[in-house]
Amino acid sequence: MTTGAASAWARCGRMVSAVVEEVFDVVGEVRDEVLERQAEAARRGRRLVLADVSSLGGPVQARLQRPGGLATGLGLIVAPGVLADRRLHVEWWQVEQGRPEPRALQVDLNPASAGFYDYSTTEWFEAPRRTGTRHIEGPYVDVHGTGAYVFTLTVPLDADGEFLGVAGADVPVSSWEDRLLDALPAGVDAVVLNAVGRVVLSGSSSWLVGELVPDRLVHDATGEDVSRLGWRMVVLPQR
Amino acid sequence: MNPLSGDARRAVFAPLDDGAVRSEAVVRRLASAISLGLLADGERLPSEAELAVSLHVSTMTLREALADLRQRGLVVTRRGQRGGSFVQSSPEAVLGLTRARLQALGTVDLRELGDVRSAVSGTAAQLAAVRSTEREVQRLREILARLGEAASPTEQRRLDSRYYVEVAAASQSVRLTMHEIELHTEVGQIPWAMSDAPERVHLVVAAQHRVVDAIAARDATAARSLTERHLAERTTWLVALRRQLLQSGSETVPAPEDRRVAAR
Repeated sequence: MTTGAASAWARCGRMVSAVVEEVFDVVGEVRDEVLERQAEAARRGRRLVLADVSSLGGPVQARLQRPGGLATGLGLIVAPGVLADRRLHVEWWQVEQGRPEPRALQVDLNPASAGFYDYSTTEWFEAPRRTGTRHIEGPYVDVHGTGAYVFTLTVPLDADGEFLGVAGADVPVSSWEDRLLDALPAGVDAVVLNAVGRVVLSGSSSWLVGELVPDRLVHDATGEDVSRLGWRMVVLPQR
Repeated sequence: MNPLSGDARRAVFAPLDDGAVRSEAVVRRLASAISLGLLADGERLPSEAELAVSLHVSTMTLREALADLRQRGLVVTRRGQRGGSFVQSSPEAVLGLTRARLQALGTVDLRELGDVRSAVSGTAAQLAAVRSTEREVQRLREILARLGEAASPTEQRRLDSRYYVEVAAASQSVRLTMHEIELHTEVGQIPWAMSDAPERVHLVVAAQHRVVDAIAARDATAARSLTERHLAERTTWLVALRRQLLQSGSETVPAPEDRRVAAR
């Protein structure tokens, strides 16, 4: 690889990282607020209650409305049994195109119901719990939540070893691509793959976002691990 | 009823646009949701005003439809502060409605429905074979395991439509997924062909397992053709069931409104 190509790769890695970190920063703010509420409750010798987390709705909405933000969904998802007065809770707000006010995501949290939204089995919830670290799910069709094609970025809410749930954000694949398409080196079929080998960003017209790339085709990996997510930048053969 | 997940349940209240006499279209849509288990027994429906807006019908039309559903025993309305319209799951009422609808539809309509399902679900399975992860394959297997053990036709239908929606989601396509969800609001309007032949559920599960095996083996061609073949078989079950219903005569006469829709 020439020095020029190497620096183009490095630049791409930095740009992708910057966007990922930008979203995680906002998610981190939500996490910090939850942990503050938790610490406050602990000082008073009580457990977290629904009112503690729903009072975070306002700040979450304000963050969603920040100009230039990539997230269209933001909030927190509480682990079962954490709140003293509610078994399951989703404090999640969304902005839609052409609708200035964020709306709360309404999901069915009655386990007996046909439409039960069993979030504790989703990978974006389960992975941070299992690994204790942040996670990006997707791109995927969020069929049971928002119905959109998104990335979901989550971090664990860890209160001194107790898993309280996750804070997270949804980023539509289209706006993610708009921001990053120029980052990829020109003239080669360069793509960024996630840990399972799915294309998360593509500068190639023969490999598109969302496709799964067989391992045997992956070569010329730069070895760069984008934002410690297990993402790889690679060049793929044309099809 | 406020809680609505983003999945199939959302389509239940999407604007109606099938050109039919509107109150009947409302009746069919809601009855379909009840038969697929998307609206649960005892669940409170949105207010008349909200429903009219989301279904894109006039309040008048909506009231007509609710009156019809009440008469069929699928909705009860209670007055007072905690009042409103509530879903009442009545297998008999659903069966009556779906059979009437099946008789009102022609063989060609059933073939057409099968054709478009084949196009959507076949493509979804084909793409899922090259785009789904092991985790997604595992989720499909879990749904099939539950389908094999489901106790009621409602539960079977719900898991069956869930299977198709999840395959579409595993294809990474929002549009295929939305098409699949919309198709199931139609599929729920005609009978579950397994009600008359319970042993067929095992055929369904076995056929879908073969599709999932093909997806897991990344055999896109097989995933597609197995899906198409199974859906074609379902069409033949429905056509046979329709003929049987027509021959058995007056037992389930289509409601006049259904005839009108069919004649359109």
